[in-house]
Amino acid sequence: MRNRGGDDLETPITSMIDIVFLLIIFFVVTAAVDKDMVDESIILAEAKKSPAVETNDPRMVTINVNQRGQINIALQPVTLNQLEQMLLALKIQAGDSLPLLIRCDGNTKFDYIDRVMQRAARVGLYRVRIAAMVEG
Amino acid sequence: MRKKYDDKLAVPMSSMIDVVFLLLIYFIITQKEEISEAHLAINLPTPGSAKASESKPQLLEVEVYDGQYSLRGTSVSLATLETTLNSFRDPDLTVIIKVSISAKAQDLVNVLDLCQGAGLTKLNVVTLR
Repeated sequence: MRNRGGDDLETPITSMIDIVFLLIIFFVVTAAVDKDMVDESIILAEAKKSPAVETNDPRMVTINVNQRGQINIALQPVTLNQLEQMLLALKIQAGDSLPLLIRCDGNTKFDYIDRVMQRAARVGLYRVRIAAMVEG
Repeated sequence: MRKKYDDKLAVPMSSMIDVVFLLLIYFIITQKEEISEAHLAINLPTPGSAKASESKPQLLEVEVYDGQYSLRGTSVSLATLETTLNSFRDPDLTVIIKVSISAKAQDLVNVLDLCQGAGLTKLNVVTLR
């Protein structure tokens, strides 16, 4: 008799575990989407003396330029004219201090980077950053 | 009798531990190596920058070609360039980096990196055609 009473008192945790795992899967999936915005095909040039950045400005516009000079923003391929349009629109929103980051492959010819810089300058953005990989 | 009662109350953990270990392995495998990036700030030529400023700024010109560097017209190695840049240590010094269109991004980053190491922050990049 006593034994049966104990059985009834057991807390049902199975369903709770189910929900906890569902939550974990939800967070895993959403976190993975966030990471995919970095262009993995670009191997940045190496810098030996520069400090690594700690925090990123949330307004930062990242322009990826690959070895063949193709440009993409958040993995969306854009042409130079589209890039200029986008920068102009963003500059109107955020002002002259809009931070620009050029993530170019170490083997990208400066010619291609120059074309991006020219468009930035034409829009009125004269301060740009070039991303480099810090060893260690 | 008492012992049996305790056994029934125990939560079945073994399957949960299995799943937790699977998750742990998943995270270890998918964990990407965090690549730390440096962001090297440069100035682009502005249309109004041609006007002569009253206080003459100190200028240093560095030319960058494909794997080659030249300082005031003479070809230098990266090591020589480093010692020259380090000898200035003047944060007001403006470095004008003229980059050939045939140069690679790595060549430019090498020079920007040396300037950063030497504490020079006024870096202007212009294109050599």
